[in-house]
Amino acid sequence: MTGRPVGALALELDLELPLARFTLRLGASLPADVTAVMGPSGSGKTSLLEAIAGLRRRARGRVVLEGEPLLDTARGLSRPPERRRVGYVPQDAGLFPHLTVIDNVRFGARGDAASVDAAVETLELRPLLGRMPRSLSGGERQRVALARALATRPRLLLLDEPLAALDVELRDRVLPWLLRVRRAWSLPCLYVTHNVGEALAAAAHLLLLGEGRLEAAGDPRSLLAVPALAREAQAGIENLLPALVVAHDGAAGVTRVRTDGGLEVTVALDEERAPGAAVTLAVRAEDVLVASVEPVGLSARNVYAATVGSSERTGSDVTLRCALRDGGGELLARITPAAVAALGVEVGRPVWLAVKSHSIRLL
Amino acid sequence: MNPGDLALVGFTLRMAALATAAILVPGIAAGLLLARYRGPGRGALDTLLSLPLVLPPTAVGLALLLLLARNGPLGAWLFAHGLSVVFTWKGVVLATGVMSFPLLVRSARTAFEEVDPRLVALARTLGCRPAGAFFRVALPLARRGIVAGLVLAFSRSLGEFGATILVAGNIPGRTQTLSLAIFQEVQAGRDRHALVLAGWTVALAFLALWSTEWLSHRRDPEVW
Repeated sequence: MTGRPVGALALELDLELPLARFTLRLGASLPADVTAVMGPSGSGKTSLLEAIAGLRRRARGRVVLEGEPLLDTARGLSRPPERRRVGYVPQDAGLFPHLTVIDNVRFGARGDAASVDAAVETLELRPLLGRMPRSLSGGERQRVALARALATRPRLLLLDEPLAALDVELRDRVLPWLLRVRRAWSLPCLYVTHNVGEALAAAAHLLLLGEGRLEAAGDPRSLLAVPALAREAQAGIENLLPALVVAHDGAAGVTRVRTDGGLEVTVALDEERAPGAAVTLAVRAEDVLVASVEPVGLSARNVYAATVGSSERTGSDVTLRCALRDGGGELLARITPAAVAALGVEVGRPVWLAVKSHSIRLL
Repeated sequence: MNPGDLALVGFTLRMAALATAAILVPGIAAGLLLARYRGPGRGALDTLLSLPLVLPPTAVGLALLLLLARNGPLGAWLFAHGLSVVFTWKGVVLATGVMSFPLLVRSARTAFEEVDPRLVALARTLGCRPAGAFFRVALPLARRGIVAGLVLAFSRSLGEFGATILVAGNIPGRTQTLSLAIFQEVQAGRDRHALVLAGWTVALAFLALWSTEWLSHRRDPEVW
């Protein structure tokens, strides 16, 4: 596990996978880091993970992990799942309901007490060891499933929407574990997610699946421009701005960042991001306040002059696409039709946009 | 109580236990096969394995008798190896085992069908070979249905009559079980004794069935 050159290619895929509605064809070379796998429902994300784990007999092509072929149908080679050393964590955790937490974690470890201990420590499972899976919360189940996979000392980790079954609050409690696993175990990892924010926070690489094919692959930040991904992004967090950390101000309790468009933004203090680090600012459209005159005496730290570029009815709300003055890019704001009428907002009019520091998340 | 009756009860329990033990492995294997196999001939296999449920027991007994008689195709070979089944306690075990086999197979099959195949697949990714995944995941998860099937098969074995009387006869002290003895006593006009013996069968059957109820409603959600 040591001495692997950073950025070395860990996993090569050249797969043909017959699915119900189409055949997924995919070729990709992935680094020894976290790769997010995204795409609409039914695009074959789970099937892809199962094929890599050896659970799809109809998969054709090649899967090469660190130079070692797991599947090479041209040469008649297909390693059974038990000899691939690929840790798979399905969406619902898939814990064995008849075994306690510790017996679940030990299940694949073949008596390797050191790796069981390490997995239990990393995911802080000590207080849960004697419990049965059905008595665990969703987040606890995911942690146990992750530990169970890690205890087998896998060479590759496959995570299928580990956070999807969890509500937003729990999500924030599990994501740190994933990041911790990424740091402490430095495993190549494929991570299926629907959430662009998660992908940006956790992944160094991104695969975007479309109908039966790979639509895009590469650095997640650069892929935000890809329409399909941008669409996905808009479903969750409307405003995603690439930025650099400028400085921390402990006394003021803020971190200053500058977007690639030159916008100065203050966010709640986050000293884990070193000055100079590339981050992505995530702001929900409903967290952007709109004013028709320049606001004064406001607690929000980030106030920007802008011009309304377009106005669109979205559900019961109105989404305003606002171009920031001085070429700072644009922000989406969602307000009620009543607010539109009260403010007299219309396309081409100047407005001021305000965002609280705490409404901005660093990804 | 009559020591002869007690011996009869003991013999009947022993035969039923042996028959249940004899079908344990093949019954679980057949249940697994029916639950997993999706190829051609599946329906035919299913029907064949369920036949003893609907055939007259005497018809099954006759088939076994012809097969296992000293001049029958299997019986001749067995006899050449010093094994005689017909009209011995082994015949009782065989006849009751065959008759109760479908009950175990059906329970085991349903139990295996209810095991999430993804858990078995996960066991493979965690290093289990197919046999390991079966013994560590599929079998423990199906055990409840299998145990219920075993109790049912055992209960059925306690009262088997038609197939047993053809294969093993009705020899007091050698092949006579409770149900055979009831028949004999009624034939001989000893109705009162027949009723006592029938009372015993009720008691045994009640205990066996009640234990399945107890197993399936046991308040131990963590284990069962």
